[in-house]
Amino acid sequence: MGYLNNTIVTVDAILTKKGRELLAQGAGAFNITQFALSDDEIDYTLYNPSHPSGSAYYGEAIENMPLLEAFPDETQIMKYKLTTATRGTYILPFIASVAGNYSIVQANSQTITPTTSRGGSLGNVAETYSFTLSDVRLYSTVNIVGAPTGQPSTVNVAQEIAASLGTNVSRTYIGTGITTTATSTNVLFGSSTSINSLLIIQGNTSGARLQVPISITKSA
Amino acid sequence: MSFLPLNPGKDFIVNSEAITATLWSGTVPTLATYFTSSTQEASSAGNYYLNVYQTASSETISEVQFAIAYANKQGSGSALYNGAVGGNSYTRTLYGQYRTLVLGDENADFNFGGVTQSDFYVLSIDRTRYKEKLFPGTFNLQLSGSGRTLELTDDSKDIASVNFNDAGRVFQICSGSDGNAYSGNGYTDASGSYGLFLPDIGTIILNAAALDLSAANGGIGLATTRSFNGDTGTNNSRFFNHISGAASFSLNSEETISSNFAFIKVPNSEMNYSENPSFISSSTGEILYLDEGFNFNPRTYATTVGLYNPNNELLAVAKLSRPIPKDFTKELAIRIKLDF
Repeated sequence: MGYLNNTIVTVDAILTKKGRELLAQGAGAFNITQFALSDDEIDYTLYNPSHPSGSAYYGEAIENMPLLEAFPDETQIMKYKLTTATRGTYILPFIASVAGNYSIVQANSQTITPTTSRGGSLGNVAETYSFTLSDVRLYSTVNIVGAPTGQPSTVNVAQEIAASLGTNVSRTYIGTGITTTATSTNVLFGSSTSINSLLIIQGNTSGARLQVPISITKSA
Repeated sequence: MSFLPLNPGKDFIVNSEAITATLWSGTVPTLATYFTSSTQEASSAGNYYLNVYQTASSETISEVQFAIAYANKQGSGSALYNGAVGGNSYTRTLYGQYRTLVLGDENADFNFGGVTQSDFYVLSIDRTRYKEKLFPGTFNLQLSGSGRTLELTDDSKDIASVNFNDAGRVFQICSGSDGNAYSGNGYTDASGSYGLFLPDIGTIILNAAALDLSAANGGIGLATTRSFNGDTGTNNSRFFNHISGAASFSLNSEETISSNFAFIKVPNSEMNYSENPSFISSSTGEILYLDEGFNFNPRTYATTVGLYNPNNELLAVAKLSRPIPKDFTKELAIRIKLDF
């Protein structure tokens, strides 16, 4: 008879930029209700089913790797989430129907309606998406298709961030599609003719993730 | 599904813990070396107080440990602000300052163990050192004197109930150690207690009259100067010499740390697949190692826990110290400490 290992892993959490922003807002804006796990940093090609010492050692190279400290930028961490699928799944869903990058001229709009494909003849997964704009200041309005009940389908971003920080802050919107209208003001451009940012699309059911660069071009 | 819900009633707990620690830089339990700064002493602040460091103030690691000040109700023991205008002096200002802070009544007098006195010394502990408050029962200060070394402590372990004044808890300072008087109440016969220990404002007030007594009467023969319009700073320097001469001052801080804990539990059937690009074959799109067991028992390696709001915005993140394997035969339990 041996003792069961009842140890529990304890880790310290840090706030992300987004977390700090919402904590500063107060009035219940900082509200943790769910969690996810990710395997950022893991390279599964290091898994070695040919290890001469047997199956207990297949993951040796992964399990002993040192991990980096957490990044506070919410768009640069939790990139690859662990997901739940039916046992026996052999192809994982991926985000489709989205271009590799987008370029929007000032004050113009861009609509993005992703789909989640399971590849080949397996069809699509019907799901909602989390659209995270890495720098929401670059947009004047955001229209969301299929926004959850209680959330507006049109967000006047300029008005929303007027009282916010002067620095770049992300915003996440949930829906099945998104239309973003680029800002008409010149203040963020400085001497540049364009500004680059990111749109991160994450399937809320599948966990599939896609990161799309978006360039806003100054019109005058 | 990549998000799992947290139950506010079950998965979160707030825990408050009192942490005590030694007060002094370098976490030494007893401060044995004492230095002052001639620059600070010569500055205008030197008219009021004398900063005490654990090393020479010129060294980069030097930090203020506490400050010594002398306060007098009549304003004696220091020069007047303006020699042509009688009345106000540095020591009188300090007396008024501490009277307001500690007694909260401009007509009240300091009373040390039943004896009213009109002057005292103050040891004001640097805020960084005592963090939140001083820990009663750990105050042990030795003062060198002619013919004896006086050992002082607070009476926190001798009293049945704690007294309060405008500065929060107040304990009498007596002859003794570790919160207990050596004999009786540990006061002097003629001048009352040796002072007041005020843990909530990080301040120790010492009865000048008691310290001035001879060794036979319980003092150290401090010989406090009470001349009107006299030399400023003399009393501070003199008292400093008695502290540094004995070279033994120990005291602990007390701080309440409140931590939020979130308990993450992942059932065996959840989170066994990954969106990591290296988890699938770039040529076929299929999961790797299907023939080596990943077909019905894929294995993932969790490295990061993300905490989200209902809008799927990442508010806090925790990294594990090493990758933790997860498959259909394993469940995960992770405790996340939220210290913000």
